[in-house]
Amino acid sequence: MKKFALAGNPNCGKTTLFNLLTGSTAYVGNWPGVTVDKREGVYKRGEERVQIVDLPGIYSLSPYTPEEVISRNFILDEKPDCVINIVDATNLERNLYLTTQLMEIDVPVVIALNMMDAVERSGDEIDAKDLEKKIGLPVVAISALKGAGIKELMDRAISVSKEPREGVTVLHDSPLAHLVRDVNIALKGAKVSAPLFHAVKLAEMDEIEVGMHPELVKMVDEFKATFADDTFGSDLEAVVADARYKYISANYSSAYRRKEKKEQLSRSDRADKILTHKVWGIPIFIVILFAIFHLTFAEDLFYIGAMAGGLPTLEELGLDPENVGVQLLACFYDGALFSPGVMLQNVMGWLTGLVGMGLDAACASAPAWVGGFIVNGVWEGLAAVLSFIPQILVLFMFFSILEDSGYMARIAFIMDRIFRRFGLSGRAFMPMIMGFGCSIPAMINTRTLADDNERTSTVRVIPFFSCGAKLPILTAIAGGILGAADAPLVDLIVLAMYLLGMIVALSTVILMRATTMRGDVPPFIMELPPYHRPLFKGLMIHLWDKLKHFIKKAFTIILASTIVIWFLSHFSWDWRYLADEQMDVSILASIGKLIQPVFTPLGFGSQLGRAAGWVFAVAAITGLIAKENVIATFSTLAACLVAGFEATEEGVSEVITLMGQTGITIPALIAFIAFNMLTIPCFAACATARAELPKGKFKWTLLFWVATSYFVSAAIYLIGSWWWTLFPILAVVAAGITGIVFWNKKHPVKKNEAPMSEGEALEAAAVASDGEEDGQ
Amino acid sequence: MSWWEALIIAAAAAFVVGVAIYSFVRRKHGKGGCDCGCDHCRCGGCASRKTPPEK
Repeated sequence: MKKFALAGNPNCGKTTLFNLLTGSTAYVGNWPGVTVDKREGVYKRGEERVQIVDLPGIYSLSPYTPEEVISRNFILDEKPDCVINIVDATNLERNLYLTTQLMEIDVPVVIALNMMDAVERSGDEIDAKDLEKKIGLPVVAISALKGAGIKELMDRAISVSKEPREGVTVLHDSPLAHLVRDVNIALKGAKVSAPLFHAVKLAEMDEIEVGMHPELVKMVDEFKATFADDTFGSDLEAVVADARYKYISANYSSAYRRKEKKEQLSRSDRADKILTHKVWGIPIFIVILFAIFHLTFAEDLFYIGAMAGGLPTLEELGLDPENVGVQLLACFYDGALFSPGVMLQNVMGWLTGLVGMGLDAACASAPAWVGGFIVNGVWEGLAAVLSFIPQILVLFMFFSILEDSGYMARIAFIMDRIFRRFGLSGRAFMPMIMGFGCSIPAMINTRTLADDNERTSTVRVIPFFSCGAKLPILTAIAGGILGAADAPLVDLIVLAMYLLGMIVALSTVILMRATTMRGDVPPFIMELPPYHRPLFKGLMIHLWDKLKHFIKKAFTIILASTIVIWFLSHFSWDWRYLADEQMDVSILASIGKLIQPVFTPLGFGSQLGRAAGWVFAVAAITGLIAKENVIATFSTLAACLVAGFEATEEGVSEVITLMGQTGITIPALIAFIAFNMLTIPCFAACATARAELPKGKFKWTLLFWVATSYFVSAAIYLIGSWWWTLFPILAVVAAGITGIVFWNKKHPVKKNEAPMSEGEALEAAAVASDGEEDGQ
Repeated sequence: MSWWEALIIAAAAAFVVGVAIYSFVRRKHGKGGCDCGCDHCRCGGCASRKTPPEK
């Protein structure tokens, strides 16, 4: 089977084309750096089968970040039958830079001129035939988004893949061409594959190339020595880059005919004037975040009920709460109009409640333990987790809209100003914001960060950005607190906890960058994509991924955990079955009581001396397997602890029940949320962190997570319970900061004065040009 | 204990052991991460993820 590689600049539409060719639904995002690993699929047409490999985006073949190395190595080492070079037609000159490098490799290349629909919409024109004549490679105009030109592209690619191709270079200026030609001849003699490409790279003294062919460095130096001393200047890499751009400008730019435009600013530029404003950019982002959380979690939509001084409940309106229709209506309105997220959660809760009642009825004649096991042990735990699916989907639908529209990339741009002060670049914001979905892909996405210290710091703080699995903990406990206090402000508490995670992340980054992870702030390398309306299909793919993952997890790990929890809570060490009211002498209770003192400074330890006080300690530990387990544990145990327990709103009622049973205080509950949000993430995220972090850093990372969560939660509990403890805590923090400042003065950072690599320079130039275009 | 009560216990135990073995085998095969098993989520390479190359 033939193998074709998709290569191109970041965010030029490679994955969209990959999906179109292979029928896959790979994740697509409107920002550069979504794909960080190669992905394979099969293109089928009749009897024809072609393996398609989607590569991470690269600006040039001088890799700068780990995922760029993957692309370069694949093209050079795996020798695909054809490279389909996807070129963003709206940004022709910069994209053709990579093309000039691909041309030098002995591999058939076809250029896919993507986003031609956007070019036509702007009134510009690109003469693909003229470009093909000038480049000497097949050029096909396509629109991956609309599926236009795909058949012709594949026809041309299959056709060119049948003939071998020898590399050619655009570096014709003497004496550079002379040097490249000499090295090329020497490499051909040494039977090196793709000799022209390697000759150019060796002439540039490319780091990877020098590492691969150290024996040839001396030869290149000898060739260089045959020219006058100042022929190539001090930085040959820059000379080559300059020569490429000059060639592109002189030869290819004429194929692009721009329409005379009266107004220079595009719609995206005009939107950016407001959304990336240096003063209003961040307040606008916070307002957007608040709106998202309000629409997802608010139990009084737009605070209509509060403003009207309270609306009547359905019962007060004379409706019968036992009536099924009224119960369904109560999912949408009951004394207040609920937000869409809450409405859907209520419907889900109502449905799971019906299933629970059905199971209860079915188990009525069975022995007590069977009913307890099936209804309380299995169903209650599972239902509590499943009931949060609607809210998770609503929240991620909003995040996906922000991401697909291109707004998230702007946030990274805005955040760069803040992050830079803390020792990170704005680029680090993208993996952090991905952490709101799941820590695992977010940690993998840190491969787009070039600096090791920046990468390590980012991987460590990603779990502080509360992922979807932590959402049930936040919502249930916030609901429990406010249910007890009778105030419908769940949205505000959840938003505040999300912001707490972000503040802790930024504070700990400052701490790391000032102590163990010191170093220069890397240049900001984010390219701002144009805004576009999110595609419905794309949104549905994102949500389907989330739903599938969540359900699979619920019916495997979480279900298995609830079974184990139920068994451990209903058997004693002498393997005797215990009824619900005897749970306090169970295996689980004794383990919980053993670890309970550890959490005493956090408010959910030994002070919860009454029966069931150990539940919080057990829940915190089961959360290490999967964070959803915290609520599953609550539900399973609360259902067993309270005779006649009936969940009206899954998750929330369990917390209120446990509050009453254990006497836990509100500051301790908030500390409990904070501990679960900030402590060691689930096992899967730990395994990813271990793989992504440099050697030897993982054990320190575990310690960092435990110490941070413990300190922050203890501070919340202490200050919440005894306000005056704020002063000694502030004194400790101030002493720590003073110590760091003094230590830093004695140990100044050694400035890294190494010149920028080609990739670095290109990306910085790209961002600078975007910044200029945006008028920022 | 009747036969079907024993069956419930056996099924529950088999399920828990099965999930544990499944997770273990996945990890041994170098798969894993998010456990979603798909090849099109954001991590992309979760079905064939390898340790990133040395910079």
